[in-house]
Amino acid sequence: MSQEVAHDDSHHNLMVKNKKLLMWLFLGSDCMFFGTLISTHLIYRKLYPEEFDPTLLFSLELTSFSTFILLMSSFLMALSVSAMHKGEIKSFRRNVIGVIFFGLIFLGCQVYEFAHFVHEGLTLSTGTFGSTFYLMTGTHGVHVAIGVFWLISMLFYSKGGNMEAHKNAVDVETAGLYWHFVDIVWIVIFTVVYLIEFIA
Amino acid sequence: MSYSQSNIDANHLKEENDRYYAFVNLALILAAVTGIELVLVYLPFPRTIIFTILISLSLFKFIGVVAWFMHLIYDKLILTMAFGTGMVIAFGTYTALLFLLGGDAVAPPEIPGR
Repeated sequence: MSQEVAHDDSHHNLMVKNKKLLMWLFLGSDCMFFGTLISTHLIYRKLYPEEFDPTLLFSLELTSFSTFILLMSSFLMALSVSAMHKGEIKSFRRNVIGVIFFGLIFLGCQVYEFAHFVHEGLTLSTGTFGSTFYLMTGTHGVHVAIGVFWLISMLFYSKGGNMEAHKNAVDVETAGLYWHFVDIVWIVIFTVVYLIEFIA
Repeated sequence: MSYSQSNIDANHLKEENDRYYAFVNLALILAAVTGIELVLVYLPFPRTIIFTILISLSLFKFIGVVAWFMHLIYDKLILTMAFGTGMVIAFGTYTALLFLLGGDAVAPPEIPGR
């Protein structure tokens, strides 16, 4: 077997591509990471409910818009993975540009939200709420930023005709898995951190 | 290219095209569910009911993205297990912390740092 074929067909004996299996294992471990951050926030909210009233500060409209943007970016990511599988590089690139654009909008909304909160007096050192909230949503924001950077790199790499469907589909799929994961973490945060605070 | 190879490619293309419609439908449903969630919190229903519906809708969105967008329903079971293990441990962490720290008896009365 030639070296090229050996690289191209890098299957694990579980009949799953190594890169894909590794990404799923990483996402499993990242679940634990975010699970800890979200749990810490919720437990402290339960312990000190009177410490801070987030309904005075949170803008559900803005957060819902961010959620919508992230969900739509996930949709475009799914389309770009599909396009890559079909060998439609142009379509892949178009969809990835959309994902990057939506990712940047999400980050912009988060920066605006953080700036507004800090201006209103909620900082990282404002009790347990400030600490756990910024740590959790900030870590998520960093994940989004890494995803955007990853996709921009992929977009530039594909520009010179370096990407081929049979060779790079798994690379795009791996980046897609990461992006969708960032989306599902936000789905959880949106409900348990933002929406639930507003239930009368 | 042999006949069998072109047949496989045609099947693969058909699968991808079928998935396209699944993705579009799911995206529309996810957008609609997000809108419903936003409206729900302002409705004058009992807290328990709203809470249950919100958690259910969130779970629905979560499963939708993981199953279709992340291709878990099309992929090997081992990948579901790899991800599921992380999910179980994450949820277990929350449950354990809730039992350890959630009781009033163990909660310190003062807020740290104040």
